[in-house]
Amino acid sequence: MTALLELSGVTLHFGGLKVISELDLVVSENEIVSLIGPNGAGKTTVFNLITGVYDPEEGDIRLDGRSLVGVVAHKRTKLGVSRTFQTLRLFLNLTVEENVMAATYCHTRSHVWQSILRTPFQRREERDVRALADDKLAFFGDRLAGYRRRQPAYSLSYANRRRLEIARATATKPRLLLLDEPAAGMNPVETHEITELIGRLRDEGGYTILVIEHDMHVVEGISDRVVALDHGVKIAEGSFETVATNERVVEAYLGLRATEEDAAR
Amino acid sequence: MDDRSQQPPDGPRIGADEWVARQGEHRRQNELTRRLGRAGERIHPAFRFFALVAGIAIFGIATSDQYYQRVGFNTLYYAALALGLNVVVGWAGLLDLGYVAFFGLGAYAYALLDSPKFHHHWPALATMVVVGFGCAIVGILVSLPSRRLFGDYLAIITLFFGQIFYNLVGNLSLTNGQNGMTNLDPLNFFGFHITTVRQYFYVALILFTVVTCVLWLVNNSRTGRAWRSLREDQMAAQLLGMPVNWLKLLAFAFGASVAGLSGTVFASLEVNIFPNNFYLSVLITLYAIVILGGAGSMPGVMLGAFTIIVGLEVLATPDNARLLFYAVIAAGLVLWLRPWFWVPIVIGGTVAFGFVVSAIATAAWPDATKPTSFGGQNLTMSSWVVELTNPTRGGAYAYGALIAAVLGVTLLKGWVQKVALIPVLYLAAFAWENELALNPSVTAEILLGALLITLMIVRPTGLLGQHRVEIV
Amino acid sequence: MNWDEFVQLTVIGLTDGCLFALIALGFSIVYGILKLLNFAQGDVFMIGAFIGYFVLTGFGGPDAPDMPVPLLLVLMFLFAMVGCGLLGVVIERFAYRPLRNAPRIAPLISALGVSFFLQNSALLVFGGDRFYGSAELDSGLYRFPQYGLQWGPLQISILRMLTVGLTLVLCLALTLLVAKTQIGKAMRATAVDREAATMMGINTDRVIAFAFFVGSAVSGAAGVMFGLMFDNITNTIGFENGLLAFTAAVIGGIGSIPGAMLGGVVVGLAQSYTTGYLPSGATFQDVWVFSLLIIVLLVRPTGLLGKADIRKV
Repeated sequence: MTALLELSGVTLHFGGLKVISELDLVVSENEIVSLIGPNGAGKTTVFNLITGVYDPEEGDIRLDGRSLVGVVAHKRTKLGVSRTFQTLRLFLNLTVEENVMAATYCHTRSHVWQSILRTPFQRREERDVRALADDKLAFFGDRLAGYRRRQPAYSLSYANRRRLEIARATATKPRLLLLDEPAAGMNPVETHEITELIGRLRDEGGYTILVIEHDMHVVEGISDRVVALDHGVKIAEGSFETVATNERVVEAYLGLRATEEDAAR
Repeated sequence: MDDRSQQPPDGPRIGADEWVARQGEHRRQNELTRRLGRAGERIHPAFRFFALVAGIAIFGIATSDQYYQRVGFNTLYYAALALGLNVVVGWAGLLDLGYVAFFGLGAYAYALLDSPKFHHHWPALATMVVVGFGCAIVGILVSLPSRRLFGDYLAIITLFFGQIFYNLVGNLSLTNGQNGMTNLDPLNFFGFHITTVRQYFYVALILFTVVTCVLWLVNNSRTGRAWRSLREDQMAAQLLGMPVNWLKLLAFAFGASVAGLSGTVFASLEVNIFPNNFYLSVLITLYAIVILGGAGSMPGVMLGAFTIIVGLEVLATPDNARLLFYAVIAAGLVLWLRPWFWVPIVIGGTVAFGFVVSAIATAAWPDATKPTSFGGQNLTMSSWVVELTNPTRGGAYAYGALIAAVLGVTLLKGWVQKVALIPVLYLAAFAWENELALNPSVTAEILLGALLITLMIVRPTGLLGQHRVEIV
Repeated sequence: MNWDEFVQLTVIGLTDGCLFALIALGFSIVYGILKLLNFAQGDVFMIGAFIGYFVLTGFGGPDAPDMPVPLLLVLMFLFAMVGCGLLGVVIERFAYRPLRNAPRIAPLISALGVSFFLQNSALLVFGGDRFYGSAELDSGLYRFPQYGLQWGPLQISILRMLTVGLTLVLCLALTLLVAKTQIGKAMRATAVDREAATMMGINTDRVIAFAFFVGSAVSGAAGVMFGLMFDNITNTIGFENGLLAFTAAVIGGIGSIPGAMLGGVVVGLAQSYTTGYLPSGATFQDVWVFSLLIIVLLVRPTGLLGKADIRKV
């Protein structure tokens, strides 16, 4: 399998704090990789680096061999990177449909004058956009179907909002999908649905997926590989079992195991 | 559990599906407007709009009074201006406070190209093409430095730009400084000169129609979606592939273009233009229109333009202004006071209070007060409102007291507030007659300012704006 | 190079700059606490100028004052500062507080409305034609015996010295207030995170009202100074000078008190030098200041002394 995303030696500081430290990360095509770590480990920062909110001070980020450093954010989306957000960032006052249609901007090409004159090319593109939006929303079955499509996004329930965010992210026709805590705030049933969903995204959609997640059930259920981060440093990588039992990972989440001497005191 | 029903709900339903964000739910539509709205929605927007245009066109034929034609013209070009501002403020969500400068740019460009100043007499279409594109370019240039900045800084930069424009045209000899540019040509379309006010009315109508159509077409395409996304969450839009900076420039360009074209038409009818035509007062009027109508809603903006321009016309003459003043107060009371029995209490109370105060005042200070003349109108009023013989000082204090009183009333609650309305309303009438009505143009401006403040606090979505939810 | 001219221009620039600095100060304090561009700040300055005028004429006027001139000046400043402070508090309470939790654009538009409202109310009540710009009408208003200072090439009138002195005193007082006092600490806390400040027991409403009082009082003082230096006051001086003050605040670094001072001086000097040295500099004055603003914003968006705004994405 070829490497779709490659981070090598990425380093970033916020003021005096080193948030990401010589990070190497490889995600191969069609893989699902989970990024785990305690809060503040820098996981969302990694997403921000990949999508272009920040540029790394050192190191390189490559998508399909092509360096993304210095490429402005909206161009990266066109190249195939898309994401959801840890705190939802839907376009709340747009309808469900419009949220998804808006995301198709980067791969449509009609100019303004073509929109004004409603040229055949533009009309065809609009039809395609609408069809694509339908398709992406249909991925979620009945949840985002029917009348709900014309409702403003703020009227959706929390779980539906998360789903809409994923639908919107897929509408940019990405190759690499970054999901930031997709199961946050969900009850066990919804969590189970999300786990299945992510698998389907990879199988049916053919996306390569990098997931940040705290819920270990989800991580266990979906991951081909798991990468663990703590204080901006990669501390473990491998299958779920390997990483979950890794001492440094346990220490990062739970603290040092007390030794017998400590217990005796 | 999630609802799988495919039928739309009749109204807001409380259940697993409805989770509206906390900030500001003030849905106060009553049953009638909602039914009308639903009925209206079934007609395709294009038909609704062209019906409106037809109606306006008929109005243009039906009236032969030049005054009404001029007011109609004003409404139409202000509506076009406001629609342009709506692109920037309502759709893209950018606070452009220098918008009036583009209006002025179009007007002065016309003045330079079609007046005795340089002996150019360009055909109207040529000027309009130049103005349209020229203003778009200037709009892009002005918004370029603000690309990386927050909305606040954009506001300052655009405000400054507007000020610079005003100062430049007021000082340069190219534009005759404060003397303005005079004797501008009538519009010349392929040899046909637009000379009468009615003809200008139709030109404005065409401008308004074209602008509406073009903007509607743009809004219902990928550009419009991108603008509205950018207004919602700029960063998310950027990360989903929308070139936010370019979109901002585009919005500015469109707004500037529309403003410039309106300026050309305006200048042509005015024949003489001065720097003061393009300054703060116009800006505030435009913002009042856009906010009152509902930022982001084209029909709202049109309604706002009609309301405010006609309202300003009414306020221009003291007699009409007085009628409007009392009508608005009465309407306000009826719309706002609940339970219903308060309405007659407050109105009756104010009337009675007035007669009593008037009787006391005229008896106690016969020199300072006089029976009112009211321009020959309603004589009953003459024993109700006290008119001062020398209104300068007293009127000023009354105005000050009125502001304090109105602010104070907003702090009260319950029946105390409603009873307190009685003296405050009388004070308002007193201040109106003795101070505000004497300076109608300034009063109009004051009311515009107050309108903006009140709108933002009470109903920021305006008349027809869509109910918006914002995560702050 | 004509040193006398240079020095004179510098002095004028510095003293004019003090006016901008004071308004910018008020502006900065409000922005620091509420992240709100208070467009009405300039108009509060204008009202201050008028209050000073009325105190002046109320106590006999410039020709025949009822009391020694220094005492009269103190009273003028006092009334203007307190009056404007209260005005600021009222504006905040009624026009901005209801919009505390509204999206950013709402209080900005409200501020615009307040500015326009104040300008025209002043016109209505004080009358535009009373101060109609022409020198003959107004030269008597703020005329005081102007004892000058002549020291080498320096020529500074007492009023200008007063302006600079008062500005320095106010800036110092404000800096100490924010840095050393309890309420200053509360202001800084509220500026960083209002909700957290509320939860820590700070009455943010009162702190914000206090900030408005202080900021507006300072602007009011600037208004009196304007009247003393320039004679002619009218209802539009607020808007024009306000805009330059915003620029000063932005250039110096919005939210920073020393920044406002620096920005004011920079703008004052820029105006002065461009008027003095560039041909038809007066006409294009605004253009130069605007260009300066653009350059500063492009090179250093947070202003010369401003702090970067850290936001979590």
